[in-house]
Amino acid sequence: MNNVVETRGLTKNFGKLRAVDNVSFSITEGELFGLLGPNGSGKTTMIKLLTGQLKSTKGRARVLGIDVIKEPVKVRELVGIIPEQETPPSFLTAEEYLHFVGNIRKMDKESIKEKGDDWFDLLEFEDQRDVLCKDLSRGTRQKLMFAQAFIHEPRLAFIDEPVINLDPIIQRKVKDYLLSFIKNNGTIFFSTHVLEIAEEICTSIGIIDKGRIIYKGPMKSLKKKRQRLDNFFLKLVGDL
Amino acid sequence: MPNRFELLKSMIKEEWRIHAVLIGGKMFLLFPVMLAVLAFLGSLFLPVIKIVLPLKQFVVIVHYVFVLFGVSVGSFGLLGKEVMNRRFGQASLIAYSSRTLPVSEKRIFVNFFVKDIIYYFLLWIIPFVLGFAIASPLLSISLNYSIILLITLTLSFLIGLSVVFFLSTVYAHSSRLLIAMLTITAVALFALNYLKISLLYLLPSLSFFFMPSYVQLVACLLIILIPISLSMIFLKIDYPEKKKRFRNSLAVLTNLLSFSKYSTFISKDFLDLMRSEGGLGKIIFSFIFPIAIIWPMLLIFLKFIPVANFLMIFSVLLGAISSTIYNWLTEFDLFTSYSFLPVRISTLIKSKLRGYAIINLVSISILILAALLSGQINYFIPSFFAFLVTSLYTVAVTIYLTGLHSNILLYNAKIFLAYIASASPIMLVLMFASIINPNILLISPALLPLCYYLIKKGYDKWDSKTELSF
Repeated sequence: MNNVVETRGLTKNFGKLRAVDNVSFSITEGELFGLLGPNGSGKTTMIKLLTGQLKSTKGRARVLGIDVIKEPVKVRELVGIIPEQETPPSFLTAEEYLHFVGNIRKMDKESIKEKGDDWFDLLEFEDQRDVLCKDLSRGTRQKLMFAQAFIHEPRLAFIDEPVINLDPIIQRKVKDYLLSFIKNNGTIFFSTHVLEIAEEICTSIGIIDKGRIIYKGPMKSLKKKRQRLDNFFLKLVGDL
Repeated sequence: MPNRFELLKSMIKEEWRIHAVLIGGKMFLLFPVMLAVLAFLGSLFLPVIKIVLPLKQFVVIVHYVFVLFGVSVGSFGLLGKEVMNRRFGQASLIAYSSRTLPVSEKRIFVNFFVKDIIYYFLLWIIPFVLGFAIASPLLSISLNYSIILLITLTLSFLIGLSVVFFLSTVYAHSSRLLIAMLTITAVALFALNYLKISLLYLLPSLSFFFMPSYVQLVACLLIILIPISLSMIFLKIDYPEKKKRFRNSLAVLTNLLSFSKYSTFISKDFLDLMRSEGGLGKIIFSFIFPIAIIWPMLLIFLKFIPVANFLMIFSVLLGAISSTIYNWLTEFDLFTSYSFLPVRISTLIKSKLRGYAIINLVSISILILAALLSGQINYFIPSFFAFLVTSLYTVAVTIYLTGLHSNILLYNAKIFLAYIASASPIMLVLMFASIINPNILLISPALLPLCYYLIKKGYDKWDSKTELSF
């Protein structure tokens, strides 16, 4: 299996704070990898480093074989990203935003329309397509961010807190979509502190605390040991 | 029982912290110091200025500049709420606390208005007068003038602010009424100018400077307080509750602008401008209104400098004012909306420049109108070149120094100083050259390679930066 994400000694400092500390790991094609950690542990910074939204202080990272530090825009052309905060431009409607992203991603008009319609249908927000982004609820904005990240059918997607604002029905649909995505050889890298979601859908997990990866392994091995993820997590980073 | 000024104090603290976080506390503190130094150095040139311009006229200019300053601060208020909302989210600002706390919107607005006055008084007016006051003994000018100047400049600023506040309140109720009022005012100004009735000294704060009296002071206070009171009574604050719906105009606009490879971004910017709060009002208040004031004022001032050519000076000033269009275009964008997409900062700046060029067609129309009405159409080509070079050069300097953050970074003392030091010499050279011979400006496009170089350096500079955190 090919490595689609690879880091060596990746480090990011913000002034005196070391947000990501000498991280080395890899993720292979077809994984649904969940990066777990408490608030402020470095999850979002890690995603930003891997997608070239931030420059690393030290170390190397390759995504889909491309050096992120040298070619961040090329990486973002190929992957889909759902950021932690949903910030679509205020004065575009939901439908216009998908057109905007599709145009940036150089998709043809018919594909944008077709894929956009599919997403409005799948996530059940057809009735919101002509509403300005600033007037959308947080949940609908998150649906929109899902649609923009997958509209160009990427091989790899980075998702920061995937279902936090979604209702249980849509959560189920999103989880099903992510599972079918990896069945078709896609790869997902997502960060969360909601352990139930990770336990339910991840094929592998990494646990990050104070910027360091303190565990990485397949979900299967935890299940074999009949160990619950929340107990395992709390043992590593909590007071248990 | 909470202190009645608690809200005001908190708003002042909030304003300070926003700027301190965004541009650094020291650099923000240095801004008024730098203004004072500039005012001091400028004052030392008064004996030289006196040779070409009688001091009385100079005092008139300074007072009207402060009226314009009040107008521009008031105009920014139209955008301000949205900008802050976009940057910080509504819940994080005290101005939005009426939604969650038992405080009326009017009380909050009054405090917000007073906070703005205090803020601009401390940040701009005091440093300006202080610089002059320090230079006064060296110029053998009585310190009394500094005290009167402090009062009259503050009054001039407040007159500008209150008038535009009143007009924006009228606009909130009826845009047609506003357009009618502005048209009548403009016609009246031109008519009075045609009848050779001098309007300049009608500004009560100016009259107070030349002849301090209680009557003048009361007149000033009435001109300030009546529009403010009316505005407060009829104040309309809308927190839109309704969802706004629109058909897909982005696709239509992108098609229309398909001649540019940045058509998607330009279309988005136009939709931002059209759909955001203020709409047409933004254009009237921050662009057309200052031009509508400068035009007749310039006609009057130039009577004292007969060698200067109206169209040439106007074209340079129009170019400088037009560069503020770039600020509108960057106003609604945060790079965080794009940072997860395959977009470079330079791509966004390039698209803003194309949008800037398109909106500048309005400025060119104004220039053509000025050439026709002033009977100087024979000088249109040199004036057009002067406008083009000023507009492009000023925006090139803005791009190089501030990237996509012109509205914030220009409050950084170092950056503001660099902006003034870079932009003003070219403007002054163009204006003085036009006095020697307007046709000299035919060679002004020789400066275009410099503009191109600055813009190119700006792209490289901003692409190489890790994006600022706002």
